[in-house]
Amino acid sequence: MIKHQVYISPSEVLVDGIPLNHNEKDSALLTELYRNHIGDYPKFFKMDTLSKLGFIASELLLNIEGNRDFEPREDRAVIFFNRNASLQADTHYQSTIQNPENFFPSPAAFVYTLPNIVTGEIAIRNKYFGETSFMVIDDYDEKIIMKNLENAFQDPITKSIIGGWVDCSDEEHFEARIYLMEND
Amino acid sequence: MDELIYTLKQQIIEALNLEDMKPEDIDENATLFGEGLGLDSIDALELIVMMEKNYGIKLKDPTQGKEIFKSVAVMADFIAKNRTK
Repeated sequence: MIKHQVYISPSEVLVDGIPLNHNEKDSALLTELYRNHIGDYPKFFKMDTLSKLGFIASELLLNIEGNRDFEPREDRAVIFFNRNASLQADTHYQSTIQNPENFFPSPAAFVYTLPNIVTGEIAIRNKYFGETSFMVIDDYDEKIIMKNLENAFQDPITKSIIGGWVDCSDEEHFEARIYLMEND
Repeated sequence: MDELIYTLKQQIIEALNLEDMKPEDIDENATLFGEGLGLDSIDALELIVMMEKNYGIKLKDPTQGKEIFKSVAVMADFIAKNRTK
């Protein structure tokens, strides 16, 4: 059952369907949300846009739940889906190795060249030791997403899931539609 | 040396995305890793790339970083003695 949900696009933020006030748009919106609603995790500034998006969406979701004690737990999974994998980070990293005359591969860019890094960022932040997975699908498909999330509850350890759609192709095109679900 | 230290602080802030931090906020004698700026292993690799890109210094042995990246002052001293650009 879905307990809470968060939606973020470059111009709109909904928390349980209620619009959240903001002034910025595009990737600056994510920074504004970080400063206004989180603010204690400077690693945010090192993340690629996909990870920033997933991180901010998960923080807004968990802030509604409250009780942020950061105690280690295994019973909460993080399962995301998208279409563009880590395309923006891949492109950024490629730009650091494109020119043979200016060939300086960036380790900080390289570490984000996998989409499932965002699930790891959320697991590390919250000390989740349960399942984390990231599936790349053709397009947003609620049926496929919900079916996979419900299936994840077949694992006897998993009691709740942060899951849904987290997609980013560049700093002006992204969408998060994620849920906090519990098995009941 | 003061100018190099200031420039180096700016380059570290930019290379490591130390948002909200200004050169004045970094104590050139404070440790960069651990309790100092709280940098991690990826940051160390990024500093190695930054030194090569900006100063033409290629570390032959990456473990040298442990000594060189002790503080901004130590880093600046190493750069001043070894830079090729």
